[in-house]
Amino acid sequence: MDSLTLLCTASLLAGGLYWFLCILGSAEQKGKRAAQLSGGSIAKEKVRDTYKQYWSFFRRPKEIETADKVPAFVDTFYNLVTDIYEWGWGQSFHFSPSIPGKSHREATRLHEVMAVDLLDLKPGARILDAGCGVGGPMRAIAAHSGANVVGITINEYQVNRARMHNKKAGLDKQCEVVCGNFLQMPFASDSFDGAYSIEATCHAPKLEEVYSEIYRVLKPGSLYVSYEWVTTELYRGDNPEHVEVIQGIERGDALPGLRSYKDISEVAKKVGFEILNEKDLAKPPSNPWWTRLKMGRIAYWRNHILVTVLAWLGIAPKGVVDVHEMLFVTADYLTRGGETGIFTPMHMILCRKPDCKSSDSSSF
Amino acid sequence: MRLLTHNMLSSNIKGVTSGFPLRIEVEKVVQKEVEFNADFLRNMFAKIEWSALVEASKTMGYSELPDSAESSMLDSDEFLHRFHHALLELHLEEGALICPETGRKFPVNKGIPNMLLHEDEV
Repeated sequence: MDSLTLLCTASLLAGGLYWFLCILGSAEQKGKRAAQLSGGSIAKEKVRDTYKQYWSFFRRPKEIETADKVPAFVDTFYNLVTDIYEWGWGQSFHFSPSIPGKSHREATRLHEVMAVDLLDLKPGARILDAGCGVGGPMRAIAAHSGANVVGITINEYQVNRARMHNKKAGLDKQCEVVCGNFLQMPFASDSFDGAYSIEATCHAPKLEEVYSEIYRVLKPGSLYVSYEWVTTELYRGDNPEHVEVIQGIERGDALPGLRSYKDISEVAKKVGFEILNEKDLAKPPSNPWWTRLKMGRIAYWRNHILVTVLAWLGIAPKGVVDVHEMLFVTADYLTRGGETGIFTPMHMILCRKPDCKSSDSSSF
Repeated sequence: MRLLTHNMLSSNIKGVTSGFPLRIEVEKVVQKEVEFNADFLRNMFAKIEWSALVEASKTMGYSELPDSAESSMLDSDEFLHRFHHALLELHLEEGALICPETGRKFPVNKGIPNMLLHEDEV
């Protein structure tokens, strides 16, 4: 009798421990496990120091003079957070309007698929994903539209993850991922039938640089859709609370200065695009995108304990605890940004590269 | 890195006017079997720079592609299988892509080409 009780108790404990260390916190059924958290391409012992460097670089995002150092720090940021994002959030590193009755995953996929529907593609079109992360959107879009998607990301660790996921999903013929900087893309001019970027161009110090590159690689007559992170018409630069929230968002998301919603169409027109449509997708009747972050508060404490235990055991790099906390603090700023309405991560703009290319540079 | 990818990459170093195609320096080639899909191949054919593909596959050790190709060849099963093999099954695991104008090498490690430019190339 005694040994049976002992066996049952031991099994229960073992099962509980396994669940706590290996299953808990995963955003997806077969997704990243907590015990697999790493600092991307950063060596385990260097994660904490790298995180500290990142944090001090982005202290005053709009005052960053060394704009040319930004790509390296964006790369660093994604080495630090990619695993945690995949673990706690999923493979699509962006927000979506919540939809009553639908899961986060479904809402995310619908948001992604809408982007590609706007591009009005013919079958077999080749399109660009500028800032593709680990490819969550790419896979949904390729599967839905049948298009060939080429993604570019500055972070080599993400390229690895994206390719692995593409292969697992059976989409590695349709989807390709390249390691590069979207400010200087290794693609010939006029080579894509369409392009999209989902919450990624915010990492560029100057929006004009990324928009002009996208313009360059698009075939004339093709469309580009972007979901932009911007401050809205409700944002007041002289309101200290607004400023605090925006700076908090910038610092915790590797953003060298959030743009105002007005800047987007201005820059698009400047590089030569025609604007076809522009809309803040977060506005009513859409449901809040930030509720998912709010719900995450409960999960945060549970995950914090988990990550601390794993770091203490030496399974996860020590810096992961700091990064996890940073993301939690940032989530709070993002939530405030959403609730006050001063910030939106889904200002949608749909643009077209004109058909006729003028050979001279005179403007009308 | 497959030749499908190589076929769309070009050197974008400042001042370079003809950065395509990138030459290939081979250190390690791996052959991976990929499911054959004729529709996919017919669809891709129009988008492929044929001579770049032929040149690249020769560098990788495969010389069975015709020097020039036209869409009527897509009716031939044999042609499609050769096209399939060159485009999707030859992988450059380790090596480099070389800018045809400046000679600058873009490293390929574990199958991933790193196309990031250095500060002075921008």
